[in-house]
Parts: sequence; structure tokens; C-alpha cells
Amino acid sequence: MCDQTDDKTELIDALQTIPWFHELAPDHFNRLIELSCLQDLETGQELFREGDKEDCLFIVLEGRVAIEMRVPGRGKVRIYTAEPMDIVGWSSITPVVRQRTAGARAVLPSRVVCLNAQKLYNACEEDHDLGYVVFRRLANVVASRLLTTRLQLLDMFAHPAAKEG
Amino acid sequence: MPEGHLEIGAIVTLEKPEFNRLLVAIQEQGYETLGPTIQDDTIQYNRINGLDDLPRGMTSKQDAGYYRLEYSGHNNYFDVTPGPQSWKGQFFPPRTELLTLYRQNKRDWSAEKTQPNQPPTALIGVRPCELAAIQVQDRVFLRNDLSDPLYLSRRERTFILVANCLHPGGTCFCVSMGTGPRSHSGFDLSLTELNDVFLMEIGSEAGRAILADLPWQPAAAFSLQAAERGFEYAIRHMGRTIPDVERLPEALLNDLENQQYDDVAKRCLSCTNCTQVCPTCFCWDVQEVNNLSGSEVRRERVWDSCFNPMYTYVFGGNTRPNTRSRYRQWITHKLASWYYQFGVSGCVGCGRCITWCPAGIDITAEANALLSEVKA
Amino acid sequence: MTAYSPQQTAAISLVSPMLPFRAEILSVQPEAPLVSTYWMRFLDPELRTSYQFKPGQFNMLSIPGMGEAAISISSDSNDHQRVGHTVRFVGNVTNAISRLKAGDVIGVRGPFGTSWPLEDHHGKDIFIAAGGIGLPPLRPILYQVMAQRNNFGRVVVIYGARTPDDLQFTREYKAWEEAGIELIITVDRGDEKWTGLVGVVPLMFYRLRMDPRKSVVYTCGPEIMIRFVIFEALARRITPDQIYVSMERNMRCGLGLCGHCQLGPYFVCKDGPVFTYEQLQPYFNVEDL
Repeated sequence: MCDQTDDKTELIDALQTIPWFHELAPDHFNRLIELSCLQDLETGQELFREGDKEDCLFIVLEGRVAIEMRVPGRGKVRIYTAEPMDIVGWSSITPVVRQRTAGARAVLPSRVVCLNAQKLYNACEEDHDLGYVVFRRLANVVASRLLTTRLQLLDMFAHPAAKEG
Repeated sequence: MPEGHLEIGAIVTLEKPEFNRLLVAIQEQGYETLGPTIQDDTIQYNRINGLDDLPRGMTSKQDAGYYRLEYSGHNNYFDVTPGPQSWKGQFFPPRTELLTLYRQNKRDWSAEKTQPNQPPTALIGVRPCELAAIQVQDRVFLRNDLSDPLYLSRRERTFILVANCLHPGGTCFCVSMGTGPRSHSGFDLSLTELNDVFLMEIGSEAGRAILADLPWQPAAAFSLQAAERGFEYAIRHMGRTIPDVERLPEALLNDLENQQYDDVAKRCLSCTNCTQVCPTCFCWDVQEVNNLSGSEVRRERVWDSCFNPMYTYVFGGNTRPNTRSRYRQWITHKLASWYYQFGVSGCVGCGRCITWCPAGIDITAEANALLSEVKA
Repeated sequence: MTAYSPQQTAAISLVSPMLPFRAEILSVQPEAPLVSTYWMRFLDPELRTSYQFKPGQFNMLSIPGMGEAAISISSDSNDHQRVGHTVRFVGNVTNAISRLKAGDVIGVRGPFGTSWPLEDHHGKDIFIAAGGIGLPPLRPILYQVMAQRNNFGRVVVIYGARTPDDLQFTREYKAWEEAGIELIITVDRGDEKWTGLVGVVPLMFYRLRMDPRKSVVYTCGPEIMIRFVIFEALARRITPDQIYVSMERNMRCGLGLCGHCQLGPYFVCKDGPVFTYEQLQPYFNVEDL
């Protein structure tokens, strides 16, 4: 969760590098600044854990963040990595999901923007023009994640012997 | 011996009994003479030494999935359309040894290619559609960039005597495919069997040399007219037709999801009969034949078929997993892609695939159905 | 004999096109579980100098008693001392190859098929998208690029494997990068040690800015991967004639004679394995063709 950042200029500079935010009206952009903060992560540092309360939507600015799931007997399996400008924790602003369904961890020194999920959701509810831009972007993210997951699910590089049993 | 001399392209007559001497003359050139004989209730190609070996008076009744050889009492020797066997096996045998590998020790081995040793062979009574099929296979096996050495060695030691068709069978459609009922080139000799004489055409120097020493006669005008009438009759009495053959290559490859394929897939048994009897189907596989100790391995070429399930198997998967895709491959290859690969259709209109299909699937009916659904 | 006039070619390999040449295995380099590179050299010294292949072509490798398998050449086409094949052990022949050791003699016929037209692409940006065992047929390209780096614009390799352990040629990544080749390596699933990318090859195009006027795409891998690579390339306005695809089919002869590898009007062994997507377009998405 965001601590209050004293220096807003650094945050504003960071948010202005995100292409998605370029299409926001100035007052929408200012709205997002109010509910955002920057967070720096060291290699190996956890962003959140499976089961945590969903409190933030993250946008990766620098570094690399892995989405991982704990599988008994196999340890942590990394199933996706988010690179700069990618979004982590998209389910935090959906109305239903209330806890993290996977863990996230920086695998390189990283910097992320953290958007307060509840405040962002409320802002979208209050102003559907803002909501449209935010949720349209999220729809794109979900679609590309689904395509990735489908191609992974095909296990296309599996050894044929494994397939034939 | 008559006056004058023979030239390539000349048409002369030969009394029927003289055919025995013609066979001897061919044999004296070192050829084994093979021709149509009756075996297992069909026409099959075996060694012939004279007219008595030929199926005089026989007729074949052919229809989709139907073949009966019947005695109909005529006096002709070459008036019966072919059975399941084609001449394909002469040049491209069902099983050929390509090479032998000898294992020296656990680590090393040597290879020795098989030297062709087929005796020179004369094919007697080759139908125009069958000659066309041989010419189609020539394009497959004897390319500008590559000639198959085994095919070449057999092909270049072959004498071809064509028997033109006057009475086509029930599944014939050579006229649609432009391959019959008469051959115009590509043979050493051709004959057209009239009631009393054989009308002989000289196609090559080898054919000229053999016929020159026989008691031929210049062809009389009425004999030539009789042959022409015979060909006209044959053209009018084709058992099957494909009206729009020239549309097939583009139409079939542009319409690979035609629903007709679902329909034919319900009838086709994937038995491979059509590919085995087809005189142009050339697919083959390579098999290893080991002796017991593994010290000697023959690598053999065997006929394969696009209907065989393993035909398209690639580690762990099959790119044509069902009959629909296999039938589509067969008919689009035969009637369409062949044209792009070799410049001609892969079908010569002999009708064997129709006659010998146990489900009676008719390539002309399928082609016409496919064409009728294609937007023109 | 009548009615045709074949022009006989003089090339030795075509006089007896099914006869394998003997090659001694020099060394075996394991690349990944069930994948190794076999370095070999023809026993006939004359053949060592006369044998030439182009990147993307393949050989038929054979073992007496087991048969032949089509294996792409993964080595440097300018290296006349040895030829490398990177083999995945999946069938009878390749499993028999897995039991070969240095000093054993293997049969080689080839080279067969079309190649990546690198010489036509001087000055272009080359985007290579490979998955799994699809990288070996593209590796000869990397040797060429390293030897003449200035002839090309950007050279980007996107390579995906199932897990980090399955990545091939890992020892060479540093040299590739030092030669100015951009590497994007991704896996389907990572373990706790893996700090690289987790994702799939086609989606890696989202990370790239491509200039469609000067970009070409070379791709090889599972057909499903190729399909989505093409999808992403087309979405970036790369035209079908600038997308090159290496296809896999059952190949028995390598000569366009045996029929098995047909895809529409093509013999993949002779007209391919490298095609432009423009050539494949009418047939690529036809189910079970």
C-alpha cells in the first residue's frame, strides 16, 4: 500500500512515461496522481503473495516482475513475467476478486507505480469516462494474458513421448 | 516383302497371323515380350509368345466397384480394357532394393548401391491411357534436376507397342483427360485392330527396324477409314466424363473446405486400392530389411499410399488424421496439384480407381460434384 | 526407349540419390534434455571440400537397420571441417542416433531443400522467431550474421523453450550478444532460479518496434507458434513475402520423389522447408492439409 510520497514531481514524471496515460484528460491524470505512489524493489523482493488482500494495481516502470504460484513439491513456478509498461495485479480492481490469486516478485531491481485499487475503482465508478479508459486498457491486458496462457497450456514444446504416454 | 521403305510415322497393315512373327522379331532384339493375359479372372500382364496367349474374344464389364471378364465371342485379340494391373510396376516395382548396407563392426559400415539388372522388356498392347500414364511417371521420375536411376535404367530398356482403343470400358474417361482413345506419339509401334488386319504405326527407329523385315502392306484407304470410324465410336462411348477438366487445378485448390469431402469421407474406407491400381500414383516409402545378425541391411523402396495412416506421421502427431483429409489429398493431388508439380494432370482417365474401389467411389462423380459446388 | 529427353545432372549425390555418405562423429554436445548436437566429418576427404550447404537446409541422417530421418543442419555453412546436426530424440532413428558416440559412423544424404535468403536481405532488420527444436535450423543464420554483421540492420532473436533447462545453445548467447544480436529468451514456465522472461514467442513482438519497410521475419518451431508469429508480424504490417517460414512434414526421400511431405502443391522437402508466407497463405490455415 502506498505511503505518502513527499515528492510528487518524481511520480508525475514517471506517470508521464506510461503511454496508456497519454490519452487521459488532465483532470483524470491528476486524479490518478492522487491515488498513486512509486515503489522500488530489490531483486527477489516480493510485491505481494498469493492470498494477500488485493490493495494495489501495479504498473512496472523498470526491471522485471515475475508472477509465481506455489505448487507443493515443485516450489514456486514462474508463469509470467511483467516487463516495463506491463500491468501486474489487474484483478485488484475487478469488483469480485478480493485476494491475490498468485504471488509477484521482482526478479531484477525494479520500480513500479502502485495505484490504490479501491480508490481507483471508486474513481472509475464516479466518472465513467475515466472508467472506460482504465477498463479498456485492462481488457487488453487480460486478452494478451489469456492468449499467453492458452499457448502455454498447449505445451507446444513438450516431448512427443510425454504426450503419447 | 513389299516395295518401298518404312519411315517413322508411316501407317501400314499387317495380317493378323504375322503378329506371331512380330513378337519373335521383338524377342530377337533381346526383349522379353509382356502382354495382356487372363489370370485370376482379370487381365494381367505376363510373358506372351504368340497370339494364342492373348485374350481373344474377351470383354470386361466395368462399373463402380464392379469388374467381370466375359467371353463375348468376337475375333479380336486386343479388345479388352485393362484389369487392376498397370504397367507402372515395370519401371517402379512395388518393392525394389535400393542399396545394401554392410556393418563392418559396431562403429562402421559400408554401403553398396544396387545395380539395375532388369532385362530389356517389350510392353505389348499398351493402352493409350497407359502410355499416357507412363509419360506422366516419366515427368515424376525423370526430372531436369534429378533422374531416378532405377526407373531410368528400366525405362530406357523398354520397347512399347501400343494397342489403340476402339471399345472403351464402363469406367473409361480418357477422352475427358485427353489421353485416348488413340496414341499419337511416345510409342515404338502402335496397332489398331481391325476385323482382318492390324493397322500398324511406326513411332520410333526401333519400331521401324523391327517392322521393316515383316510382310507389311501399305495401308488401304478403307482400313484407315475403318480405324477413324472406330475412334469416333470410342469417343462417343466413354463410360464416364469430366466436362471441365481444365478448371480442376484452380478450382480444387481454391476450395479445400468443400463439403463434398465430408460426404466422400463417409463412404471411403481408406483401403488404398485406388492408389495401388492407379498407373500414375508414385508415392513410396523406404524400409530397412535386416538379416538376423544385423550385419546386412537392405534398404528397399516400397509403394506407399496417401491413405495409409502413417503416411503423414511426424514425431507424435499426424498431419492428416482422418479419411476426409486423406481423400482430399488424393483427389486434389491427382487432379490439381499434380498440374503445378509436373505440368500435367495426374489422372489419365483409365478408370481403375472407380472399378476397383470396394465402395464404388467414382473420381469423375466426385470431381463433378466438387466443381458444381465451386463458385464459377 | 522413347518419348523423353532427360538432362542428366552431374552431381555425385544425384547419380545415386538414395545412397548415404559415411561421416564420422567427431563429438557429441548435449544441448538440453533429449537434445544433442552431433559434429561430424565426411570420411571421403574430397567430399569434405565439395560438400556445401546453405542455412536452413537439411540432411537425411541414417543408421543401418534403423532408417533415415530428416535433420536440419545447425552449423556454420562456412565451416568445411565439420557439419553439425542438432537432434531431438523422438523416434526410432533419432533414438538410435542418441546411442552414437565419437568415432561412430553415421550416414548422411543431402543437403536438401530451400534456405533462408539472407543474401537478399542485406541492410534489412532480421527478426528471428524460434521455438523449441526450431532454433537449430536458424543457427546457421547467426554464424553468417556474426561473420558479416555490418551487412544487416538490427538482428533480433526471439527464442522460446518449455523450461530454462530446455534452452539450447546457452553457451553461445554471450557471443551472439557481443556480436550485436539482440536476444529475447523466454520460457513457458520458470522455476525459482529463473530470472529471465516467462511468456510465449509470438507475444514477445509486443516488446519490439519494427519498421515494416525494412524488416524481415524468419520463423521456425511448432506450427501453432508459427501461426501466431505470422499473426503478430502481419499486425505490424510486415508483408507476407517478407515472412519466411520453415515447415516440418514427414520427409522420406528429400528429393520430391516419394510424396510424403506434400502440402498443397508443394513438396516441403524440395520446394521448402523454407517458404515465404505468401507461398503458404492459401494452405497454411487449412485444417489437416
